[in-house]
Amino acid sequence: MSASNHFERILRWYPPNWRAHYGPGLVALLEDTYGENPVPLRIRASLARAGTVERAREVGVLGETTSSNDRLRVGSQLVLCGWSLFVIAGAIFAKFTEHWNVATPAAHRTLASIGDSAVQWAGVVSAITVLVAALFVFPVVVRLVRAQGWTSIRRPVLRNALAVGSVAAFIAGLTLWAHRMSFHQRNGGTIGYTIGFLVTGVVALVAIATATSTAVTVTRELDFSRRMLRLLSSLALGLTVLMGVIVAGVALWWASEAIYAPHFLANNIGNGFISTSNTLPPALVVAGALMLLGLSSAFAGSLRVLGGLKKT
Amino acid sequence: MAKRTTATKSELGRQSEPALLILTSLASGEKHGYALAKDVEAFSGVTLGPGTLYGAISRLEERGLIAPVPSDDRRQPYKITSSGRTALASAVRDMRALADEGAARLRLRVLALRLQSRHLVTGLTR
Repeated sequence: MSASNHFERILRWYPPNWRAHYGPGLVALLEDTYGENPVPLRIRASLARAGTVERAREVGVLGETTSSNDRLRVGSQLVLCGWSLFVIAGAIFAKFTEHWNVATPAAHRTLASIGDSAVQWAGVVSAITVLVAALFVFPVVVRLVRAQGWTSIRRPVLRNALAVGSVAAFIAGLTLWAHRMSFHQRNGGTIGYTIGFLVTGVVALVAIATATSTAVTVTRELDFSRRMLRLLSSLALGLTVLMGVIVAGVALWWASEAIYAPHFLANNIGNGFISTSNTLPPALVVAGALMLLGLSSAFAGSLRVLGGLKKT
Repeated sequence: MAKRTTATKSELGRQSEPALLILTSLASGEKHGYALAKDVEAFSGVTLGPGTLYGAISRLEERGLIAPVPSDDRRQPYKITSSGRTALASAVRDMRALADEGAARLRLRVLALRLQSRHLVTGLTR
């Protein structure tokens, strides 16, 4: 590999448009500075960070020069990305907390029950919010298809249809299989079923990621009116609040169970497959981390939306 | 004063320090990336990393404060535009006003005057 190719590889973090414009100059600077010597790790890390920032600027996540409409659009998309992480985390939490009330003394269920109800209600309302947003967006998609055909959105839509079809087939197959099994076989008794369950989980994960990516790609192509963008971003702000409620609910449930029913937290991991401390079961740690990541994305998106609402 | 500083900052963007250093360097003539980095280091002691330097260059070009100079060389030179000169002049005025205010409050000017007059008196009495 020539020195020039080596420097160009370091710039892969930057978006292609940026590289086309500034890449040769930056490569020349690196050649002049380092010649045949290797680029220090600190400089590589700095270039990776700067490249990521440029990518974020290109899609409108960062930057002061982005138009207010783009701020609303990108902010709402960030909130949606955060929500998709909540869908995964919520599924883990729901599976983990099955039958928690049976394991918790009746006198100590109040706080955990409030937390669990908050999670459930906020989860349902957030799903409705996303569906309402999708309903508002749908006519705009139809308008785009009528005006320009499927070309610009065909690939992501087909990819999404394939992912959703796959996850539906996996779930249907697993459900039919589960009906022929005993409770013990379904809960770790049959290794084949356990593997099938895990594979379905991975396929569902891919489907959620694909659906989110499709939504982001398609909405980037759509021509929204200012009014519609304001409406969608208001729904995004509401969604962020609901995510905050879910995190608070999970924290309340977790803390209450850690105090009053620690044995439930300790005995609930893969039928004892993974040993764990009472208060930090791996499944809940993963769910909590995903929720915090999702909330951070939603919070950043909301700030972008608020900036876009202020800027006219 | 505060309003003027804020206006200058928004003109140069949030990363105003690298932007100011680059504009100051280009005020004395067009330069490419490597020459810019070396010049900035020489007059300010600040080492701008390649990522920071080109991040600031792209922001300044986006705002029309600098412009690329056509070149056949692989190195891309840049020059300051008239808007860039105006923005730099405004920033320099703000910094001077701040420096004067700071010096006055720290009585640096008074000290300097006293030192000057002492030298003067010493010179006259010799």
